[in-house]
Amino acid sequence: MDDVNTVTTDGAAKTEELKKCPIDFERHGPGFREGFVDQTHELHAKCPIAWTGSYEDHWVVSGMDQVFAVARRPEVTNFRDADGSVNGYKGISIPAYDYGPYDTPSFLELDPPEQTDFRKVLNPYMSPAAVARWVPIIDELVNACLDDHIESGSIDFIDDLATVVPAITTMGMLGLPLADWDVHSEAQHALMYTPPGSPDHERVMKIVMASRAALTDAVPEVRANPRPGFVDALLNATIAGRELTDQEITGTLMLLVGGGFDTTTALTGQSLLWLSQHPDERARLAEEIDTLLDPATEEFLRYFTPAVGDARTFSDNVEIDGVEFKEGERVWVSWAMANRSPDVFENPDEVDFDRTGNRHAAFGLGIHRCIGSNVARVVFKRMITAVLDRMPDFVIDPNAVVHYESVGQINGLVNLPATFTAGERRGPGLTTTIERAQKIVVDEQLADRVTARRGR
Amino acid sequence: MKVEVDEHACQGHTLCAMVAPDLFTLRDEDGHSEANNGGEVPRGLEQAANSAISSCPERAIRMIED
Ligand code: SF4
Repeated sequence: MDDVNTVTTDGAAKTEELKKCPIDFERHGPGFREGFVDQTHELHAKCPIAWTGSYEDHWVVSGMDQVFAVARRPEVTNFRDADGSVNGYKGISIPAYDYGPYDTPSFLELDPPEQTDFRKVLNPYMSPAAVARWVPIIDELVNACLDDHIESGSIDFIDDLATVVPAITTMGMLGLPLADWDVHSEAQHALMYTPPGSPDHERVMKIVMASRAALTDAVPEVRANPRPGFVDALLNATIAGRELTDQEITGTLMLLVGGGFDTTTALTGQSLLWLSQHPDERARLAEEIDTLLDPATEEFLRYFTPAVGDARTFSDNVEIDGVEFKEGERVWVSWAMANRSPDVFENPDEVDFDRTGNRHAAFGLGIHRCIGSNVARVVFKRMITAVLDRMPDFVIDPNAVVHYESVGQINGLVNLPATFTAGERRGPGLTTTIERAQKIVVDEQLADRVTARRGR
Repeated sequence: MKVEVDEHACQGHTLCAMVAPDLFTLRDEDGHSEANNGGEVPRGLEQAANSAISSCPERAIRMIED
C-alpha cells in the first residue's frame, strides 16, 4: 500500500519546501542518548518542526506548543492498517515493527470509536480509585524484593526490584497468575532495548514469541474459567458495536503487558540513578516525602520521559504552526523533547522538585494518553518510598550501570547495581509473598473494575 | 474566581487534583476531573486554582470568572 503514502504533488518543489529544516535523526543509534540534550536545544532553537530522511521520511516535532498542536488534531491519526485494506497507514512506530503472526493492532493504533470504547472498558480498572486498592499488595511485593537483598548490602535495582513489581502488578490486573510474570519480563524489556538489526535479534524474537504465545493461550483459558481482570473485561466488551476476536484480545493484552512492564521500570531506574548522584536532594526527598513525592514524581516523569515519543500519520492536508502537512505523511512526536521546552519549563534541563505548572507530556497528549498512567505513578511511588526508607544511603557505581543500547523507544536501563548499609529483613521473600498476594487478589476480587460492587 | 474543566479536552492526567485537591474531584470510573462546587473557587485557593490551570497537560481547565 506504499503508493498511498507516496507524495503526489510535484516532487522537487515539495522536497525543497520540506527540507527547510532537514535533520539527521538516528533515534536508535548510540549517539541519541548522549546527544539528546544538545540535539533538543538545537531543534527547539531552529526546527521545532523538522524533516528527516532517517528510517523512512518523516516529520519530527519537538517543541511543546507544536507537539500539543499536532497531537491533538483530529487529522492526526494513530491508525495502523494491518492488512493494507484501508489506507496503508503505519501506526505509532518508526521504523514499523514486524509483528509476524501477531499483526492485529491494539487500541493504541486505533482511533474513535474503537479507541473510546476500549477506554470505557478498561478505565474502571486503572483509574486512580481503582489503583488505590492495589497499594497494600504493591507494598508487600516491594518489601519482599528489598527483603531478599537487604541483608547482603547489595541489589540490582533493575533486576531485583524495578522489573519485578510493575510486572507482577500487571499480571494481577490482567487476572493472570502472578507467578507467571517472568514469562514476559525479559521479553518485554529486550524488545525495547534491542535496536533494529541487532545480532541479538533472534534470541529476543524467540522469547518475545513465547510471551505472545502465553497471552494467546490466556484468552480461551479465561473464557473457560472466568475471573476478574483485563482479559475478562475484553472477553465481555462491546467495541464499535461488536465483540472482539480472540486475536484482537491477544493484541490488546500485548499492549497492556508491554506498557505495564517496561515504562515504570525505566522511570524507576533513572530516578534512583539520579538520586544516587544527588545525595542532598535524595535526603530532602526522604525527609519531606509526604509533600515532595507527588511533585518529584512529575518532575522525574518530565525529565526522564520513559516513553520518548510516538509516530502518527496525517489523515488530511493540514497547516499547523505555518507548516503544511500532507495526507499520508508520517510524523514522530517527541514527548521527551517537548518536556524540555524552555518556553514552558524554566531551566528545563534541571530536576527541580519545587517546579510548578509542570504540564509535561510524559504520558502523551490527547485521546491516546497512556491508559496505565495511574498504575505507573502508584507503583513508582511505592518503590521509591520503600528504597528511601530502607536503603537510604544506596550508592550506584556509574561504571556498572548498563543503559539501553537504543533509547529511541524507551529511555531505560538494563542493569543498575547498588550497594548500601545492610539492614534486617521484615518479612518473607518474593516467592512466598507472590503466593500470599495471589490469594488476596482472588479473595478480595482486586482485579475487578472499581465500579463493580456499586454497579451490581 | 470560577474555573471550568472542558470535559472533551480532559484526558484524566490527574495533575489538577494533585496540586489542588480541594478544587477538583477525579471520577472513580475514569479519573477524569470535575471542578467542585460548580467551579466556585473559595477565597484563599486562587493560587491553587492557577496552579491547576498551568499544570494541566491538555490545557483543559479555564478560568471563567475573575
Ligand atoms: S489535569 Fe487536566 S487532563 Fe488531567 S484530570 Fe485535570 S483537567 Fe483532566
